[in-house]
Amino acid sequence: MRRGVRLWGRLGGAALSLVMVAVLGFFLFRVVPGDPVVSMTRGRPTTAAMQAELRAQFGLDRPLHEQFFSYFTSLLRGDLGTSFTFRRPVADVILERLGPTLLLVGTSTVIAVGLGLWLGVRAAWRRDSAFDKATTGVSLTLWAVPTFWLGMLLMMATGELFPSRGMRDTDTAPDFVSQALDVGHHLVLPSLTLVAVVCAEYMLVMRSSLLEEMHAPYLTTARAKGLRDDLVRRRHAVPNAVLPAITLVFLRFGLVVAGAITTETVFSWPGLGLLFYDALTGPDYFLLQGLLVVTAGAVVVMNLLAELLYGVLDPRVKVV
Amino acid sequence: MLELRNLSVHYGHKRVVGDVNLTLAPGQTLGLAGESGSGKSTVAMSVLRLLPRTARVEGEILLDGDDVRTMSWGRLRAVRWASASIVFQGAMHSLNPVRRVGDQIAEPMRLHGTPGSVRELLEQVELSAQKARAYPHELSGGQRQRVMIAMALACGPRLVIADEPTTALDVVVQAQVLSVLTRLVAEQDLGLLMISHDLSVLAQTCDELAVMHRGELVERGATREVIANPRHPHTAALTAAFPVIGDPAHRWAEQAPQPEPLLRVRDLVVDYGRTRAVDGVDLTVGHGEIVALVGQSGSGKTTLARTIMGLRKPSSGRVIFDGAPVPVKGAALKAFRRQVQLVLQDPASALNPRHTVRDAVAEGLRVHGIRGDEESLVSAAVERAELRPAELYLDSLPHELSGGQQQRVVIAGALVLQPRLLVADEPVASLDASVRGEIVALLLKLRHELGLASLIITHDLGLAWQIADRVAVMHQGKIVEQGSVEQVLLNPTHDYTRALLRAVPQV
Repeated sequence: MRRGVRLWGRLGGAALSLVMVAVLGFFLFRVVPGDPVVSMTRGRPTTAAMQAELRAQFGLDRPLHEQFFSYFTSLLRGDLGTSFTFRRPVADVILERLGPTLLLVGTSTVIAVGLGLWLGVRAAWRRDSAFDKATTGVSLTLWAVPTFWLGMLLMMATGELFPSRGMRDTDTAPDFVSQALDVGHHLVLPSLTLVAVVCAEYMLVMRSSLLEEMHAPYLTTARAKGLRDDLVRRRHAVPNAVLPAITLVFLRFGLVVAGAITTETVFSWPGLGLLFYDALTGPDYFLLQGLLVVTAGAVVVMNLLAELLYGVLDPRVKVV
Repeated sequence: MLELRNLSVHYGHKRVVGDVNLTLAPGQTLGLAGESGSGKSTVAMSVLRLLPRTARVEGEILLDGDDVRTMSWGRLRAVRWASASIVFQGAMHSLNPVRRVGDQIAEPMRLHGTPGSVRELLEQVELSAQKARAYPHELSGGQRQRVMIAMALACGPRLVIADEPTTALDVVVQAQVLSVLTRLVAEQDLGLLMISHDLSVLAQTCDELAVMHRGELVERGATREVIANPRHPHTAALTAAFPVIGDPAHRWAEQAPQPEPLLRVRDLVVDYGRTRAVDGVDLTVGHGEIVALVGQSGSGKTTLARTIMGLRKPSSGRVIFDGAPVPVKGAALKAFRRQVQLVLQDPASALNPRHTVRDAVAEGLRVHGIRGDEESLVSAAVERAELRPAELYLDSLPHELSGGQQQRVVIAGALVLQPRLLVADEPVASLDASVRGEIVALLLKLRHELGLASLIITHDLGLAWQIADRVAVMHQGKIVEQGSVEQVLLNPTHDYTRALLRAVPQV
């Protein structure tokens, strides 16, 4: 009974956040300066009548509350509207870009999380060792470096070794293996940049939370039982120390969908980050709203998952 | 079975243990007594080579004839828990919080290939087999300590080291845990090395007693002999520090005349959800009177104190302070709180580690916006708490002070607001025997000089005997008995009071 109530409470909270995001998304981008109809017709001779017709077509001539009402009701039906710039349904545009983003940001995040947590554990377990000092120093430096600069630096340093623009070459053979190899080849530089930049976050969180646990009495108990040092670490220290990192990791997984605006722009990766950047220059209201709803939705869902998982990993927390 | 020869432990240049010689035969029980910092826990940890890397260990530690110091890591791991195991203090922190206790008990058995079942081990310590599926936080303090004992016996060791196994448990639970431990040690003919700061606990469980002081073994002999005729002055100080209920020499409070009531609690009820934590309590504290509220953990005494201080709203009933009901909000509540100050059990966690003594004491003044010369008010309060001269302490951080000094800082922080009632929750429970006496004397002096009334919450009946004018015994949310100290502690009328008194270990 209680469990059910708590679970519904969590779900209700998540749903409420999503509604807030949808409302905010609508009004937020209406404040962005710029007239979408003017930028849609830029470079072409237009009359006032044509502009008015465009406004009517996208419903921009109606009062704000009517626009909001129709936006919100179609959102509930899963319809995100039509993009001004692409002249296609927003949902289609986003879906098309979702794949590349998941590939790039997803892979990089998984690698960065894995590497960061592992490095953090190693560094904390041998605190002040050369390994600890080196990893902390290097990852902090990379964390501090501007992403676009690191990306450009990598491009220059690797020369012609890896492609630096786009996701695939036009002249690659259409069979799966060559396509996959080509995409993988294009993936190297942008994902390397992303991993290098965000890895420090996980590493430092893991390191400091393991350091907090290092003197915990239950580790002495484990040693006294005769456990090997690496078992003490794996079975006892890490399961406790990893808890604070869980929330961070899942928030990041949620943000995967947002793409990586800087990296995607630098490497012209056709993902959601680049799409966001393009949509802002419109401003393409419906596309921006759609992107915001999708990104925020992913974060909210991931956060919910993190809370549920937390309840499984830490028996002291009653989530559901 | 265990033999320590000239054991010395240094941290850098600091010697924490010096030249300790000790032997323990199978089936023998030895108590190792001493205050915090005496090196007794260091000795225990050195037996299984569990000291941190920075420790330099000299001498010989022979476990069944083998020197632990020179063993290979592989041999050492095989010896750990199988030859000797440890019941650690504070089972809450010594058990892994995210693993089921059954797994934790089974872990060393799998590791050392010992046959046996977790169910049987739990039955030995009088816990039901279902408890194996519980996590540490789901168990009570006494149950957790039994789990520790079951775990220590999992691999059939011949030596068990118990490091303060019952500290932080209340008397009744302490008596239960001690009886389980002594029964198992006798049944399985184990050697027991028991470490405690509490001589009465050791007196009850051990045949022999060794006393440590500043890293050295100062006395060793049969328990009765050592306690009855201590040869070393430190041993004498230790035995004298624990009050004996009924002994007039340990009764420090002078008789106070029947005072006017300062605080009156009338038919107070406090509910937590569906649980009734405080159930119809009537209690009075007079001007300048010291009242001890005794009871086991979970009896509702802390909830009662929080409600008296206006930190919790009562479900029904009234709290009347100085003739007026305690205000429930706003400036009036703030003004009331100034008059009632709290002293907590563990000064190390009650003080902010990054605040100097000056900040810690002055905080109350700042919160209440009291004008005036902050510096002189703070100095006066610090000196009242007998940290003299105040200038020596004002810029210290808590970790630079001893436990007793820290508790004085907490008391100074209360005194600076010139309160009329002090609510003290186990004010001496985390302090050493010698310091404990000083803090008790300080509380009595404050009453004498300032007319400060105190409500002392404790499970320590000895403390009540030492300091209080009246005692109220709390059980399951109700006050089952109250009256003058002599009346309640010497001629108890309620069964629960008798049970509490029976559980107090006797020296």
